[in-house]
Amino acid sequence: MGDEQAAKQIIDKNIMIELSNNFPNVVSDVDVPSPNRAVARIDSSQVKEIMQFLLDKGFDHLSCISGVDYPPDKMEVVYHVTSYSGPLVITLKASIPRDDPNIDSLCDIYWNANWYERETYELYGIIFNDCPYLKVLLLPEDMEGEWPLRKDYAGYPNPT
Amino acid sequence: MTHEATQITSPTKPSEILLHLGPQHPLQPGPFLLDLKIEGETIKEAELKIGYIHKGMEKVFEDRTYIQILPLADRICYLASNSNNDVYCRGVEELLGIEPTERAKYLRVITNELCRIQSHLLGIGEYTTDVGFLTMFLYMIREREGVVSLLEAITGSRLNHNYARFGGVANDLPPGYKEMALKTFGELKKQIKSHDELLSSDSIYLSRTKGVGVLTAKQASELGVAGPPLRASGVEYDLRRIEPYLVYDDLDFKVITQTDGDVFSRVKVRLLEILESIYIIEQCLDQIPSGPYKQDVMPYITRPKPGEVYSRIEDPRGEMGMYIISDGSDKPYRFRIRGPAFATAQALPPLLIGSYVADVAAIAASMDSCTSEVDR
Amino acid sequence: MGFLDTIMNYLVIIFASNQFAPWIRGVLGGLVIGGVFGGALVMVYLERKFLGDIQSRIGPNRVGGRFGLLQLIADAIKLFTKEDIIPARADKWLFIGAPIVALTSGFLMVAVLPFDLLVIKGNEYAVAVSRMDVSILYLEAVSGLAIFGLFMAGWGSGSKYSLLAGFRNIAKMIGYEVPLGVSIISVAVMAHSLDIVEIVKAQSSIWFIIAQPLGFIIFGIALLADLGRIPFDQTEAEEELIAGWATEYSGMRWGLAFFAEYFHAVVGALIVSLIFLGGWNGLPFVGNLGIPGIIWVLIKTIMVIMLLIWIRGALPRLRIDQVSDLGWKVLLPLALLNLVWATIIGLMWA
Repeated sequence: MGDEQAAKQIIDKNIMIELSNNFPNVVSDVDVPSPNRAVARIDSSQVKEIMQFLLDKGFDHLSCISGVDYPPDKMEVVYHVTSYSGPLVITLKASIPRDDPNIDSLCDIYWNANWYERETYELYGIIFNDCPYLKVLLLPEDMEGEWPLRKDYAGYPNPT
Repeated sequence: MTHEATQITSPTKPSEILLHLGPQHPLQPGPFLLDLKIEGETIKEAELKIGYIHKGMEKVFEDRTYIQILPLADRICYLASNSNNDVYCRGVEELLGIEPTERAKYLRVITNELCRIQSHLLGIGEYTTDVGFLTMFLYMIREREGVVSLLEAITGSRLNHNYARFGGVANDLPPGYKEMALKTFGELKKQIKSHDELLSSDSIYLSRTKGVGVLTAKQASELGVAGPPLRASGVEYDLRRIEPYLVYDDLDFKVITQTDGDVFSRVKVRLLEILESIYIIEQCLDQIPSGPYKQDVMPYITRPKPGEVYSRIEDPRGEMGMYIISDGSDKPYRFRIRGPAFATAQALPPLLIGSYVADVAAIAASMDSCTSEVDR
Repeated sequence: MGFLDTIMNYLVIIFASNQFAPWIRGVLGGLVIGGVFGGALVMVYLERKFLGDIQSRIGPNRVGGRFGLLQLIADAIKLFTKEDIIPARADKWLFIGAPIVALTSGFLMVAVLPFDLLVIKGNEYAVAVSRMDVSILYLEAVSGLAIFGLFMAGWGSGSKYSLLAGFRNIAKMIGYEVPLGVSIISVAVMAHSLDIVEIVKAQSSIWFIIAQPLGFIIFGIALLADLGRIPFDQTEAEEELIAGWATEYSGMRWGLAFFAEYFHAVVGALIVSLIFLGGWNGLPFVGNLGIPGIIWVLIKTIMVIMLLIWIRGALPRLRIDQVSDLGWKVLLPLALLNLVWATIIGLMWA
C-alpha cells in the first residue's frame, strides 16, 4: 500500500515536470490546480510524440477528446488522459487555426480514439490526419459539412 | 488491434450474408444499427452505426443557464439519472468554490447507490431475455419495484430523479425511512442470493455464457472500457476507490472483480455489486450526521468564475465524466459529456468478431449500453 | 345392461343405418377437429395464465371477467381485422401455403388418435376417426409434413431473417426426428403392434413410462424440439431473428401459423398421454375407478401440457449448435440403447 501511494504521488508531481523537460518548447502553461488534475497547453504538431511518451509512462486510458471553438481565429482540441492505476487526469489542450483545422490522429496509440475523433470531426470540422474511416458518427450523412457545434452555426437547415 | 474489421465491406463470396440488426429490434435497449457480415453462423465483420437519437445535448446546454441544465442532465441516461445529476452538481460546485453539506453528501451517496442497484437489476433483466430466460427478467423487475419505491420516497419520482442541487440536495429523508429501507433490503438480499445460485447452477445457462465473448484484461484496457466489463476481466478499477468523492473514503466496501472476462463473469459482477451497494447504504444510514441538507443561501443565478473542471463519477455502466468550461456568464461556454456507454459501445464490434450470430444478443446485452447516452 | 343396449341401438341407427348416416359421421368428424381446436385454444389460455403465475404476474384479467376468459376471442377479432400484407419479394404461393401445410399436418394427425375404447357386446369400438393397423407409423410420417410448412415459410418470405430461421429449423428438426422415431419404435416393440389402440391396451397394468423411463425422456425432449418450444425455440428467438420464420406474417395468417404450433403441442401431448401414460386405462394396477376413459385421457393430456408450459417458464434457450450436438451426440445413442432395452423387456413379456 505504501508503494502504491508513493507511486501515485510520483505520477502526480513529477510527470508534469518530466513532460516539460522532455518537450521544452512544446509544452507550456503547466498548472496543477488540485492533487488529481493537471493541465497543460501543447503544440499541435507534436501531439503524437507527447501521447506516446505519456502512454509509456503508464497513462493507458484515453478518457475523452473534445473540441472547443474560440471564434474568430482558433479552435482547440482537448485531450483527457488518465491511468487505470491512479487518479490523476491530465488535460492537454492543442490550439489549431480555425480556417484550416487539422491535427494528427491518435488511432495508432490509443485504439478508442477513433470514435472521439469522428465525433469531433463531424461537429467541428477538425480533420484528423491518418484517422481510419473519418466519417460521420452521430449525425446523418447529409449533415456532413455543417459543423453544428461551431459558435456561428445558424441552425438546421442553414449551414455554418 | 486494427480498425479494419469494424467497417463492413460488401460480401464477396456467395456464402456470406449481410445481416442488419436494427434499428428497430427486440434485443436493443434503444435504436442502433449493427451490421454483421456472417458466413454460416460465424461473424466476419461487424459495424455499429449510432446516432438515431442524437439530440444535440451539448449544443443545447450551451444555451441554458446552469440551473436550467440541472433537470436536463438527468436525462442523459434515464436509468442512471442520479449519477448524471451528481457528477454535474459536483462539477459546478467546484467551479463555484462551494462544498455540499455533510448530511447532503451522505444523502447523495444513498441515492447514488440505490440508482446503481436498480440500474443493475434492469441491466441483468434485459440480458436474461436475450439468453431466453424470460422468467428471470420478470423476477428482476419485481425486485426493482422495491428499490424504486425507496427512491420515490426520498426524491418524489420513479425515473428521472433530479435530486441533487448545488451545495446540497432537494429533500431530506422522510421519517421512518431507515426501517422501510432495511426491510426492503432484507428481502432483496435473499432474492439476489437465490438468483445468483440459480444462474450459477443452471446448466443450459452456463453452456450459453461460459467462455462466450471473452475480453482479456489487456484487450479491455486497449479498447478503453471501464465499469463492470473491465472489472469482470480482473482489473480493479473503481473510481469510488481510486479517486474517492463524497464520503466514499469513510465507507467500507469491496471492489468486485472476476477473472474470466466472459459473459457469465460480467453478469456475476453486477449481481455481487448489488449486494455491496446494499451494504454501503446500510452503513450510510447508520453514520449519517444530522444537520442541514442544503446551503442556507444560494444565489438564484449561478455565475461561476471563469475556469474549467473535469468531474468524474463511477456510473453503473463505467466512468462518466463532464468537462465544463465557464466564461463567467450564467451559461456554460462548452459542456462536454463523456459517457461510459460510448466507450463500451465502441468496444462491442471487435468483441463480436469470430463469435456466433446466436451469441450477439448475449454479448451485446452483457455490455449493458444505453443508447440514449451513446447518442446524447 | 339393458340401458346400454338401447343406447347402442340408437347409436347404430343414427350413425350407420339411415340414409343421412355419412353426413352425420362427417359432422362428427368436424366436431372432433373442432374439439381439438378448442383444446388448442384452452392451451393458449392456460399458457398465458400459468406462465404468468410462474413469472410472478397475473396474465390476462380484463376481458371477460376477472380471469380474462374472453381474451382469446378478442385476440382473434383483432387478428381478423388486420391488413394482410404479402411482401413484394415473397414467393406468393409458398408464403400463403406455409401455414396451411403446417395446420393440415396437425389435422391429419388427429385422424388416428383414439380417445377411448368401448367394449360393447364383445366388440371393440375405438372412439377415433379411423382405426388403422399402422397408426403410429402414419403419425410419424405425417408429423414430418410440418417441417415442410416451416421451411416453406422460411424460404417463401423473401427475408434474410426468415431464411436463417428456416436453415436452423431444418437442422434442428432433422436431428430430432430420428430419436423421435426410434423411441416410438421402442414403444411399438414393447406392445408388439403398431396400432395405437393395441399400445394402450398393452398398458392396462403398467404404464410404459415406468417400463421405459429412458424412452419417455427421449421422446419428451425430441417432442419439445419438434414443437419448437423453449428450450428449443431458436427458430423464433425473438432476440436474434425477430420472429424467425413468422417474421413477415401479419394478421390472420400469423394467427394460423401461431395456432398451428399450439395445435401440434396439444396433439403431441395427446400422443404422450396415449403411448406412455396409459391412455384411457386410468391408474396403473388399479384401473379405471369407474371414471370413463376419455376423462382420463383429458386429465393426462392437461398434465402433460402443464409440464410443457412449466419447462418453458423455467429454462433458458439453447444455442443452435448446442441443439444439434444434443440431438445427434446424446439423444440418438440413448434412443438406440432404449430400443435394445425395449426389445429385451418386450420379449420377456411376450
